[in-house]
Amino acid sequence: MTRDESKLLYAATHEWAAIEGESGDRVATIGISGFAIEQLNDLVYMDLPEVGRSVAPGEEFGEVESVKAVSPMYSPVAGEVLEVHSELPDQLEKLNDDPINFGWMIKVRLSSDEGIDQLMDHEAYQKQCAESQ
Amino acid sequence: MASTGRLIPLAAGDPVDNMSIDQALLESTSHSQVPALRFYCWSRPSLSLGYFQEFAARDSHVESVGLDWVRRSTGGGAIVHHHELTYSLFLPANRSIGQHRDLYAQVHGEVATSLRDFGVTAVPYRTLSRSLSASAAEPFLCFQRRTDEDLIVSGYKILGSAQRKVRGAVLQHGSLLLKSSPHAPQLPGIAELTSQLPSIQQFSEKLANRLGNRLELDWQEDGLRDQELESAGRIAVAKFGSMQWKCRR
Repeated sequence: MTRDESKLLYAATHEWAAIEGESGDRVATIGISGFAIEQLNDLVYMDLPEVGRSVAPGEEFGEVESVKAVSPMYSPVAGEVLEVHSELPDQLEKLNDDPINFGWMIKVRLSSDEGIDQLMDHEAYQKQCAESQ
Repeated sequence: MASTGRLIPLAAGDPVDNMSIDQALLESTSHSQVPALRFYCWSRPSLSLGYFQEFAARDSHVESVGLDWVRRSTGGGAIVHHHELTYSLFLPANRSIGQHRDLYAQVHGEVATSLRDFGVTAVPYRTLSRSLSASAAEPFLCFQRRTDEDLIVSGYKILGSAQRKVRGAVLQHGSLLLKSSPHAPQLPGIAELTSQLPSIQQFSEKLANRLGNRLELDWQEDGLRDQELESAGRIAVAKFGSMQWKCRR
């Protein structure tokens, strides 16, 4: 299934989340936005977490290196890492072309709604990006 | 009107202390939102690996294999720290992801201007012909790699910098290669390339003044605080001095 970026939720720190499933068993698929990838410019390394790790909203779940700068990536949601896109760090060149579908990084089984009300819709996120340029 | 920044006095430290203090100051800047500038040397010849470099890659550079080593929190390649001056600049950061993209150019521009006072002409790599020595496969040593803002003298890199970003702050540190080291004999320094050897004290004072003007910061000399030293001690145990953390790649 192809994701539609206009239906995703976004953190101020440029991570996106696609939340699917019913109330008791919801999973958020998480990545970073095309805008962030473009701004970071030429990603060369990426670290992703182990399956099973707990994450909280705003907590680091991984790191990327671009132009000798190491930057953290923050979880937008609370829960447990269910799946990791482990091939992604070896194919970062593809991230530029498809940050929303191929570029997913982790899937998190939500433990609560914590953090979700802090996320923006696509329109609000676009506005934030425009203002930061 | 210029804001106030902290100027941490020049000192020499071992690899774990140098990296732990940088990390502690980064966290301190993140909380206080007060910029800081620090200069330091290395109390013994040492090697630092870039954050994502493989530990096993050390074997490819025989001259530095016996050196004490540390893993940096910043990206890029390995550095043999011997006859060098290191600067660390700590600035508050907002949520704009590209906010400090031009910091490499700003700092390196002021380094180049300061070097001219000592009769040394250094230019950014981006201004040179790309056929110089850029390589598709990244060499082990940072000073054999090239990025746009690296400073070059007679075809050789003499300054490279790297960054670490955290919530609310960015650290940019960089190494100025003053003189060649027997632990990296393939890398000439400023002394070999120009027959000039800038005084570390005088150069760091000039650079601090110029960076203050460029960044509109009024530096106030300020030693490390007890809380920062305690924090550096904790960081040393958990990260830079921990074999498990250092060898995790």
